[in-house]
Amino acid sequence: MSYLQLLRLASPETVVVVTTLVVLAIGLRNRQSPGLNILVAVLGLAGACAAVFMLPRSAVLFAGMLVISPLTSLFKVICLLLAFFTLLMARNLSSRNHAEYVGMILLATIGLMLLVGSEELLMIFIGLELLGLSLYVLAAFEKHDIRAVEAGLKYFLFGSTASAFTLFGISILYGMSGTTALAAIAQKLAGMPIEPLLAAGVVMTLIGFAFKIAAAPFHLWAPDAYQAAPVTSAAFIASGSKVASFVVLGKIVLIGLAPLHGSAGWHAMAGGWMPLLAVLAALSIVIGNFVALVQTNVRRLLAYSAVAHAGYTLLGLVAGGREGFSATLFYTTIYALTLLGAFGVVGAVRREMGNDDIRDFCGLSRRAPLLAGCMAIFMLSLAGLPPLAGFFGKFYLFSAALRAGGNHGLLWLVALALFGSLISLYYYLIVLKVIFVDAKQETAAVAAPQLDLLQRATLLALAGAIVLFGIMPQTLVSRILAALA
Amino acid sequence: MVTLGDYLVVSGLLFTIGFAGVMLRRNIIIIFMSLELMLNAANLSLVAFSRARLGPNGLPDYNAQVFVFFIITVAAAEVAVGLAIIVALYRARQTTHVEDISTLKF
Repeated sequence: MSYLQLLRLASPETVVVVTTLVVLAIGLRNRQSPGLNILVAVLGLAGACAAVFMLPRSAVLFAGMLVISPLTSLFKVICLLLAFFTLLMARNLSSRNHAEYVGMILLATIGLMLLVGSEELLMIFIGLELLGLSLYVLAAFEKHDIRAVEAGLKYFLFGSTASAFTLFGISILYGMSGTTALAAIAQKLAGMPIEPLLAAGVVMTLIGFAFKIAAAPFHLWAPDAYQAAPVTSAAFIASGSKVASFVVLGKIVLIGLAPLHGSAGWHAMAGGWMPLLAVLAALSIVIGNFVALVQTNVRRLLAYSAVAHAGYTLLGLVAGGREGFSATLFYTTIYALTLLGAFGVVGAVRREMGNDDIRDFCGLSRRAPLLAGCMAIFMLSLAGLPPLAGFFGKFYLFSAALRAGGNHGLLWLVALALFGSLISLYYYLIVLKVIFVDAKQETAAVAAPQLDLLQRATLLALAGAIVLFGIMPQTLVSRILAALA
Repeated sequence: MVTLGDYLVVSGLLFTIGFAGVMLRRNIIIIFMSLELMLNAANLSLVAFSRARLGPNGLPDYNAQVFVFFIITVAAAEVAVGLAIIVALYRARQTTHVEDISTLKF
């Protein structure tokens, strides 16, 4: 393997790295307008996307450190798209240091791509840390805003503790199996009894990922980070980081820990990671939905609903197999697109009203019908109403969970998830009611949110994607299923 | 003779002390030190496992030792980011105690 060959196979990551450096260099001279930085970054992401399409169909480097397969290529493109939309929304950043901000988003994107494209614990750890460290900085970027810095600090402390847990778990997994490549770990662990040390390793590894996907009880950072971080940072934390974490979590449990699956069926509980994830899912669904009911801030509400959605998404992994994993991947992609859009609307309202409490959305349908319409699509998709994409995502997840686990063993979890979605309908509809019906405190002085053409187009594109994937879910599902084959 | 088990016990103890520090201490700098302790506990167990697993040629498994170098580097990066956030917070609030940092609640 020559160095040139390696560069060719890692070309998408390389392109983004070069773009990051270029953006930082431009930022040294250009302190006035963020437009140029974002243009360069967007071009770089497009280049990386093109590089993904030029990759060979499949290749495995260094025992899985860099894996190229239809699945990794598909999710690299999705991660690049999420970063693309985030950058388009980042144009109104007030800070002088916009080049650093754009650079940080690009660095986080590299972390996402490394995470998605690796089946080896060392690379996964490095991807996690690159992503995490960039996101901590993004969360605390407005360093004069005390709330943003506080959110950043909490995110950082929780995140570092969780990654220390993951690291210790990885060291134990390595000790038990003698290797860090996921496929080889699975071979070594097959037939091995679950000793206490191995169990500790599995649990500690999963804790770090439970933190990343904001599953209860490791969700405590999420509400603060979503509410107080700059809106674009929060949007990227909520979307990109979650997609990549689910891809990696799926790979770790379904490839690396495959022999230790256990069972989460009601009558057939058996030790392994499945019951563990099932408990996380159940806790997330209950805690997320009930706490979301009493929130008065839209971003905080979205954060608690994110906890609940992490619970639903885990259902696919608990179901396991190709069908379950594809349901998880479809749902997390749809969810990321929806949340990016919702944060786009929240950002626009926040620029106009100065805050993003639910009452600030009052009468939005008259002030800005386009924003209100987009928000309606995003909220209804999150609630899971047909014909939007969120409905089909949930449908796939729940049917995969019902069919798996033999003798409807996962029925208890599916019933809980259905109950949770029912509750969630209430708080999503509250937001929509305020937007479309309430008008009591509306003041004439408030101008309509100023959105330029590009941001309008971004929101419309995201809303369009949600509707499109709702009407024709096969377009994405068949791709994911083919990639998993 | 020091065995693998002894190293693992020390590593587990370090990790527990670190985690207890993160949970119980109220000064952010001390919490930060405890975090580093947790990372180093993982380093110790990785090196111990690597030494315990001699390959067919009598050499230890160097993968884990390379892993440790990466962890040390990542820990340094983490210190840089963490201290930057703490300094920003200190400028805004003049405190390094977690009780004083509570603008965001439930």
